[in-house]
Amino acid sequence: MVNPTRTSRPFNSVALPALAAGALVVVAIGPIVLDRFAVNVLTRSMIYAVLAITVDILWGYAGILTFGQAAFFGIGAYATAIVATHVGDSPAMMALGFVLAVATPMLLGLLVGWLSFYHNSTPLYASVISLVFPIVVTQLVFSGGVWTGSSSGLVGYTTLPLELGGFFRLAGFCLIVIAVAAWIFVKSDAGKLLIAIRDNETRCSYLGLNTSRFKILLTACLAGVAGLAGFLYAHASGVVAPENTGFVFGTELVVWTALGGRGTILGPILGAIGIDYLSANLSGELPFLYQLIVGALFVVMIIVVPGGLAAVVTKIAGIGTNPTAIASVTVKGVASRPSAGWVEARDALIKIENLGKSYGSHHVLEGIDLSVRAGELVSLVGPNGAGKTTLMRCVSDGTLEATGVRQVCGRSIVRLTPSDIVALGVGRKFQVASVFDSLTVADCLRMARMAIDPPSVFAASRTLALPLSSERIVKLTGLDQLLDSSVSLLSHGQKQSLELAMVVALEPRLILLDEPTAGLTKPERTMIGGILKSLTEELGVAAILVEHDLDFVREISSRIVVLHQGKLVLDGSVEEVVNSALVKSVYSGGGHA
Amino acid sequence: MTLLLDIATTAAVLFIVASGLLAIFGVLKIINFAHGAWLTVGAYCSVLIAHWGLNPWLSLPFAFLVGAALGALTERLIVKPLYRRPLDAILATWGLGIVIGQLITLWFGRDVQMTPNLMSGTVGFLGVDYSAYRLFAVVAALAVGIGFTFLLDGTRLGLSARAVIMNESLARALGIDTGNVRLLTFVIGTGLAGLAGALLTPLTSVDPNMGVAWLIGAFMLVMVAGSSFGALAVACLLFGGAQVLVSTFLNPVLGGVTIAVLCALVLRLNPKGFARG
Repeated sequence: MVNPTRTSRPFNSVALPALAAGALVVVAIGPIVLDRFAVNVLTRSMIYAVLAITVDILWGYAGILTFGQAAFFGIGAYATAIVATHVGDSPAMMALGFVLAVATPMLLGLLVGWLSFYHNSTPLYASVISLVFPIVVTQLVFSGGVWTGSSSGLVGYTTLPLELGGFFRLAGFCLIVIAVAAWIFVKSDAGKLLIAIRDNETRCSYLGLNTSRFKILLTACLAGVAGLAGFLYAHASGVVAPENTGFVFGTELVVWTALGGRGTILGPILGAIGIDYLSANLSGELPFLYQLIVGALFVVMIIVVPGGLAAVVTKIAGIGTNPTAIASVTVKGVASRPSAGWVEARDALIKIENLGKSYGSHHVLEGIDLSVRAGELVSLVGPNGAGKTTLMRCVSDGTLEATGVRQVCGRSIVRLTPSDIVALGVGRKFQVASVFDSLTVADCLRMARMAIDPPSVFAASRTLALPLSSERIVKLTGLDQLLDSSVSLLSHGQKQSLELAMVVALEPRLILLDEPTAGLTKPERTMIGGILKSLTEELGVAAILVEHDLDFVREISSRIVVLHQGKLVLDGSVEEVVNSALVKSVYSGGGHA
Repeated sequence: MTLLLDIATTAAVLFIVASGLLAIFGVLKIINFAHGAWLTVGAYCSVLIAHWGLNPWLSLPFAFLVGAALGALTERLIVKPLYRRPLDAILATWGLGIVIGQLITLWFGRDVQMTPNLMSGTVGFLGVDYSAYRLFAVVAALAVGIGFTFLLDGTRLGLSARAVIMNESLARALGIDTGNVRLLTFVIGTGLAGLAGALLTPLTSVDPNMGVAWLIGAFMLVMVAGSSFGALAVACLLFGGAQVLVSTFLNPVLGGVTIAVLCALVLRLNPKGFARG
């Protein structure tokens, strides 16, 4: 155990209940003190605020710019109204309307998620789908005839027997519950994954996390929340119209979220309520001018303060985003997981036969044969452009097209995604340290364990369980003193060490390291060399190391492989390779092999 | 036969509308969501020309110039700070579109405007009587396409633009002023959008929100086409054709989403769209 546990209560465990209780009181007395018009408008605004929260989680936290929440909202509203209009308005039918209003968007959310997110999909593409979806839904509503009321929408169906004030309180109550749930979620361990995906999705998948599946589930859940908002809206307003499903409404949600402050939960709520309420009041007098001002403000905000009003407020009030008083993360070593299949350790962990990779007519790799067994530390050397990094990519990403046999632990990895290959026991450290800049050191390490220990959706852990080997790296490199620091504050060497600790925390059987010592000082190199030696010799992990520093290679390797112009020219012990004339000629730029 | 002409002319109109967006996306890798607004601006240029009693054909160069001038301002003030944040650039240009739409509304009112026809009546073409103006649209699309081919392959700007498309940092290292290439491309793109708006006026009604309807179709076609004008032409023919077929034989309302849905599916199955390499 390092770092004594501090038991200071985090800010939100005190402030959040107080804030929620205050909001509940306001919602309860609202209808008494406000006039009819204000109650009516604010009911709608609070329902819109629920939508703004969903947009904020998707866009502000996970980095998925979406215009599609409007469509899920509209589907929920239409499902409610269609059941009430065409099926029946008994309490049982109302309940059916509620179930359909939530379940239909969730199912469609799965479909939209499947369309939007797959290995190597781009953020732009997801936004495109989120744009197409509401357009399609709107057109379907238009061509729905009597069922959807076409362009005039549905009106005159039976709504819940609540007065104006009752709907106000219901909407307010739902808003508070959803806001609190959203707040708890984004502060939880699972919520940190959202930020990790936004920061560095590649690293997430190389930590064995199936980010596509996570994003699809997230889309489906938030579609359900939007459908719930649609249900409330259909009952509170008594009318649903095609505009409720449209992409223009979807962009408005994004505008509110952006102005309020993305990634803050509270900001978008206030943004949605504030702008919708103001526009209802002002649009009578100066309709176009008002939208003009909102539009102009939006443009300026995006360019100058992408954090929105929330960022402005926190800057003025001088509230740090990362209160350091909470420092209380503990490292706890855990025993390595039982190594199933360790028995056949004498077999090759990785086996490559006749591997070839080309870009057009340019052959980057040709006829590579290589196999590595447990406990070996194989160094891959060769001049720049020899194909070393490409070889690493070929064995860690099966979706990369290449010819020949690629096997990890006896299984072909062709067409497997990086996260699948991590699950087979391969960890990869990139040449440029690939970590999560918006997270703390402890959170980064926790991400590395997430594929093994499923994260909590409710709680933010105060401890950090790491396998002993990873814990040792954390301690040796002094990262244990920095667990609560933001990664963006770390030095280059510290980031390299952090990434190594993260990869080792995966408990891989095979580690791929692309120039782990580049840009490090001599003591740092020696330390990393020592760590690698003990991983391979004591724990039986296999390692493939791309390295330029021949002295370093000579010290730690058990075998050296030389690549030159895409071909494997030499594979032998340290002595054989270092004394070979071939290597000297390759490195001095002499004749071709 | 009429159906084939419908397909050809629909594709031509789509090509004209989308080409400005493609030019900007290809070089700047930015989706210009104000594109719809520039179309609207172009259309209102025709309204102004008609209002002043000038020859309607003058509206084409006028719309191009107005679009280009406003585009230059936009690039410097709004797009330039956001090159590194492409998703935010979508939002900022969308916001700009709102602003322009509202300004036009304040100026001209919400009502649909009428413009004089550039070319009226029908001509006999291969045995059918067909709208002369729609046939002219095909000529205009060919002119735009040939113009771009010449610009890309025959001029210094085109060479620089192609360099920026392929590898921007290398282009900059070789001494190409990528900032200027971006500015010029943006200006040409918005100018073309204005021109397209003016060309659209005889085919659609002119109102402050007319651009939005065109934006989505054009945007999806550009996503599929990547940065190649050839691919854009193919995409316009294929998806424009599909739109005409669905509208004619199934349902005009569904025809309106044909392009968007087909493009989204094509992109899901082949993320590179029609672009090669």
